[in-house]
Amino acid sequence: MENLFEVKDVSLRFGGVVSLSNVSMFQKRGEILAVIGPNGAGKTSLFNSLTGVYQPQEGTILFNPKDKPQLSIIGKKPFTVSDSGIARTFQASRMFNALTTFENVKIGAESHKGIGVLGAMFRGPATRRDEHTSDEHTWSLLEFVGLKDRANVIASALSYGERRRLEIARGLATNPEVLLLDEPAAGTNPSEKNDLAILIRKVRDEMGVSILLIEHDMKLVMSLAERLYVLNFGSVIAEGTPEQIRSNQNVIDAYLGTASEEETDNA
Amino acid sequence: MKTLLTKKTLKFVGALFILSELAAIMTGPPGNPTHQFDGFKGSLTDPTSLLGLFTTSRWIVFFVYGILASLIVYLVRTKQNVVGKVLEAQRSVSANKTFRIIFFSALVILVVLLPTLIKDAFWQNAMVSQIAVFVLLALGLNVVTGFAGLLDLGFVAFYAVGAYATAWCTGALPLPALFGIHLNTFYAIPIAIALAMISGIILGIPTLRLRGDYLAIVTLGFGEIITVFANNLNGVTGGAMGTGQVPHFAIHVGPVNYVWGIPPVPYYYLTIVFVGIFMIAFSLLEHSRVGRAWTAIREDEVAAESVGINPLKYKVLAFAIGAASAGFAGVMTAAQSNYVTPATFTLGLSINVLVLVIFGGMGSITGVVFGAVVIQTITMYLIHNPPAGYQPQDLYIYIGALLVIMMIFRPAGMIPSRRRSRTHASAASGQE
Repeated sequence: MENLFEVKDVSLRFGGVVSLSNVSMFQKRGEILAVIGPNGAGKTSLFNSLTGVYQPQEGTILFNPKDKPQLSIIGKKPFTVSDSGIARTFQASRMFNALTTFENVKIGAESHKGIGVLGAMFRGPATRRDEHTSDEHTWSLLEFVGLKDRANVIASALSYGERRRLEIARGLATNPEVLLLDEPAAGTNPSEKNDLAILIRKVRDEMGVSILLIEHDMKLVMSLAERLYVLNFGSVIAEGTPEQIRSNQNVIDAYLGTASEEETDNA
Repeated sequence: MKTLLTKKTLKFVGALFILSELAAIMTGPPGNPTHQFDGFKGSLTDPTSLLGLFTTSRWIVFFVYGILASLIVYLVRTKQNVVGKVLEAQRSVSANKTFRIIFFSALVILVVLLPTLIKDAFWQNAMVSQIAVFVLLALGLNVVTGFAGLLDLGFVAFYAVGAYATAWCTGALPLPALFGIHLNTFYAIPIAIALAMISGIILGIPTLRLRGDYLAIVTLGFGEIITVFANNLNGVTGGAMGTGQVPHFAIHVGPVNYVWGIPPVPYYYLTIVFVGIFMIAFSLLEHSRVGRAWTAIREDEVAAESVGINPLKYKVLAFAIGAASAGFAGVMTAAQSNYVTPATFTLGLSINVLVLVIFGGMGSITGVVFGAVVIQTITMYLIHNPPAGYQPQDLYIYIGALLVIMMIFRPAGMIPSRRRSRTHASAASGQE
């Protein structure tokens, strides 16, 4: 079976600053894959390259959706990438603050359906049916992420943990094949972190959506991810299962540190 | 008495004094080239003589108004509870559905009966050419600026396109008439709207890649280009003299023969019917997929793109739809005044429409209609019954002051949109 993502020799530069150099990686269908690394290692740049926000100068990124033709992502716009089945969340949550939780998710659910100005103005039966399916879809997703009772709250009034869930629901509303999560646990408390880990696994197991994850919280990453890539200074320095990564000397030197250091970090 | 003489009150009185002097200078007599400071002397207190305080009273009027206004604000602020209760009661009443239905039906009846209540010829004309037409323009700009969040300083261009398109269809331009025959003005409506929309798309596709200030400058340029074209393309637009005779609206269907003529009342009814249609259509649009996508783009374009919204497509759409109502306003102006001249389509008019939208409440349909009616009525009142000492060029001092006061007390507009006021609230509380 082909891989979901095939990233080959991708290099991304901003002027003279090299953000990614010769990054190659792949993701299997249905996999929970994590990308870790110190700050500034290029993790978010990689995400932005995968979603069409940045355009790397070299390399290829191929995406193989199940029922749609293969997509070469470099050079595509973010909304085209979203159409093909890649959803994402942002490092600092980016919601539509003027809208309610429900409307935020609904935007994701209906964004692929074309514009329909005349339908909107005349409210024909087709439009009403369409609205109805979007509503149902939205409600089921809100229930899935546990925000059903917060549906009519304005997005900016949600807590950090709730905002993460909202972003996940909004991403899922676009019916993606893979969900890219950029530090979903940042700013959440331990119990929210736990719930989040359960939710992420549920997204994969129940919805069949592959997960690509950037995260600094090692406990969360090691418990969730089936395979990891480690980035440092824009290059992949290691790849493997959590056990392999934990014992990799390069990774320990560059990122994880020794056991005693890790303890002081956590303290 | 001692409590009144605190540093704070002294500061306040000082500020009020300076503001009243400023207001007095601005509204005072103009100077002349040989005595540049005559205007100042006529308005300011002569600092050498205490008596001057009382001989020139212009500033005192403003000072007293200021004191009164701050007293009212003070009372409102300190009696927070009473005011709060009144506001709460008002809110719960206006949330009541039957009340809303009754209120809006009463409003509609009032609007319908208005020409029978106001017989004055000046006002009957103003209701069409200065109020209803500006309501249409404000509704259109509200789609662009209020819904999609695009600052358009050249909105007048679409108004001009609508007006000249009407002249073209009806054969009033030096150009051969469109389709070779002089069309009935009614048929000009769809053509003018379509042409305005097309010009919105033509302007939008290259420029809407820009954001914020850059977009404002480019649209400003577009507005100016259209005016310069209208002024200089003598063979096409008739140049600065304007077009020939644009006929009135007329219906000749079987036994029905009706011509809209010089009296403005028939035009009033025709225009408010279209105002109603535009209000309903835009409000349906606001609460549809399109309206939500516009809000999403306005709030966070990167996030909107990430969920699959093509921002350029929706922004161009906003331009085209906004242009439609401006184009229709152009048809009304051309038909009612019977000719089109470039002098109508100035940068000042674009700014004026923007003021109506901001004052009423960006993104709120009832708000911008309210804003347009109130500000245009004030403008017309000042022109028709100028108060003592008022000069035409002072108009924008008063409108500007009104806008400043509104910005302080109701920053989201007089009747803010629900979505917009949420953005304001979260910005005020320091959240992203």
